[in-house]
Amino acid sequence: MSINALLDWISGEHISLVLFFVGLYGLTARRNMLKSILSVGIMQAAAILYFLSADLAEDSVPPVGESVAGQAMADPLPQAMMITDIVIGIGVTAIALTLMIHLYHRYGTTNWQKARDKRHE
Amino acid sequence: MMVPLFILILGPVLAGLALLALPLRWGKVLAPISQIPLAVLAGQAFLAVRRDGPQLQVIGGWPSSVGIALRAELLSLDLVMLNILLFACLLLYNTGKPYVNRTFLFLFLSFQGLLNGIFLSSDLFNIFVLVEVATVVISLLILFKPNSESIYDGSIYLLTNIVAMTFFLFGLGLLYKTTGAVNFDSLKRVIASFEDSERLILPYAFLMTAVSLKAALMPLFSWLPKAHGTPGAPTVVSAVLSGLYVKGGVYLFFRLQDIFEPVLDTRSLFLVLSLMTAVIGFVLAIAQKDIKLILAYHTVSQIGLIMTGLNMDHDYARYGALYHIINHAIFKATLFLTAGLVIERYKTRQIGQIRGVWREMPAVALASLLAILGITGAPLFNGSMSKAWIMVGADQAWLGIALYVINLGTVISFVKYSSMLWGKAPEKAKRPFWGGPGHRLPALVCLFLGTLCLLGGVLSEPMTRLLFGVALPVDWSQYGRKTGVFLLLLIAGTAIYHLGLKHWRYLQQARDLDLSFHDICLTMAAFFAALVIVLKIWY
Repeated sequence: MSINALLDWISGEHISLVLFFVGLYGLTARRNMLKSILSVGIMQAAAILYFLSADLAEDSVPPVGESVAGQAMADPLPQAMMITDIVIGIGVTAIALTLMIHLYHRYGTTNWQKARDKRHE
Repeated sequence: MMVPLFILILGPVLAGLALLALPLRWGKVLAPISQIPLAVLAGQAFLAVRRDGPQLQVIGGWPSSVGIALRAELLSLDLVMLNILLFACLLLYNTGKPYVNRTFLFLFLSFQGLLNGIFLSSDLFNIFVLVEVATVVISLLILFKPNSESIYDGSIYLLTNIVAMTFFLFGLGLLYKTTGAVNFDSLKRVIASFEDSERLILPYAFLMTAVSLKAALMPLFSWLPKAHGTPGAPTVVSAVLSGLYVKGGVYLFFRLQDIFEPVLDTRSLFLVLSLMTAVIGFVLAIAQKDIKLILAYHTVSQIGLIMTGLNMDHDYARYGALYHIINHAIFKATLFLTAGLVIERYKTRQIGQIRGVWREMPAVALASLLAILGITGAPLFNGSMSKAWIMVGADQAWLGIALYVINLGTVISFVKYSSMLWGKAPEKAKRPFWGGPGHRLPALVCLFLGTLCLLGGVLSEPMTRLLFGVALPVDWSQYGRKTGVFLLLLIAGTAIYHLGLKHWRYLQQARDLDLSFHDICLTMAAFFAALVIVLKIWY
């Protein structure tokens, strides 16, 4: 693949797909709970990137404030949805981290496997 | 004049918020009372929909493709009314429990509002938001009496469900790009005339992976028993999770299939998966020793049965499955509530150590028995009706046999479960009918729900006409034969359990089958990949 073809291939949509599966890999391959939470964060970022970059026309302006004549506005719906998602993501991550701290206090580890062994004791 | 639907969602949340400011004594009384106006509103909306057909309300006056649209139709209002009925019972049951505080009431009522929202939303993104918030609320509720097991279980629940919802969100993004819509009506319209079915495969696979996990379909169910049966979760939370919340996933599945069916018809695939879910669910249920876990695994089995009915190409089976959603909510809630009272009295969850519930707490045992008769499909009880309608859809012999096997599995699990009812009570002194002080109201609630199991069966014909607007005839002349079949299953089930299964060594191994977090994520990835590959081959 020539370098130009590669550069053409790199777009928000493709990168977000790659990122999503990087996150999924992290979930399956890492035993540390903190890394699991980070992986979920990567997957959520991938989803946000996808929503914002899919169907985005070149030279379009953000759908905020008054529109300038002659310039296309980006589709406001995905942007509105993603603002909501970012807020939810923060809440969810906060809860997950809190749980992790509780888990650490209870079992003395943040490793999923060790926590599971302790749970069955 | 149609009632504003958003009150059904916002009302409970605001009520919970108000209770935070009041003394707990008042809150315990006011929380069940708050269900009355909700029930009136839901009833009015239901009558309006029955009179004028489905209604769409857009909050804030935006066009329906952009704004938050709520859609009232018979099925969604049925589920909302069921939700209110169950919550009213659960809040009454809960009034005397020591762990109830204002935070609990707030979380619990908010959860009710979120559930109503899931049933009423007509927009996939709103559903995503509501489910995500519900996930957080539930993990807090599961951890309400934290002990060393429930922290692990709660963490597994929270993270697996967040991962699933991330799949959902990504699928939604792909779907929005392909179709330019996120609400049910537009999606249905666009997809029905969609030519290039291949482009829908990826979004469909992402969405279905998430929904299958939410609905606890094989092989993505292993988070469910942990969450529903964990020792730390208050009984009412287990009851509402198993009775209703998991049906949210089934409801989503039903809606999505309805949208995608014209282009991607995957019913045969999901039919096989559902049957497998039902079988593995009861096998694992039989293997358990903890009474709450028996019930939790059995939920998996019943979900399999409901999904089987939904994936059959027959109207009776479909409505039978929808009726079974309601029936299952009622008897599973009864079972969890009675199990909670039994655990409180006996101070153990091990089925082997609980004996003589009939003598010890007769009212609770009676309610338990009514629910067991319902779930095993005894004649005249609600379970038998919905199962019979699902059976009508079994157009091939093997499907009919599979359904009988599933019912036999249910009978065996409850032969095991009901062993705690019989035998000698630990103490000689005979307790009063209600099972002692402080148990009167909870036992009354259980008995009420148990009676509903019987009423739902005897009145199944008018009930389905009222709830779904369809006439599903019950062939009463067949009843003699049905009773015979049930007795046969009961005898076979008792014999198989006591003569063989009880001491079967492999069953012990099945009990230890417990997927770790990584295994669950890996199965999710595998499920997704398999779905994409199968669809690519088909289309």
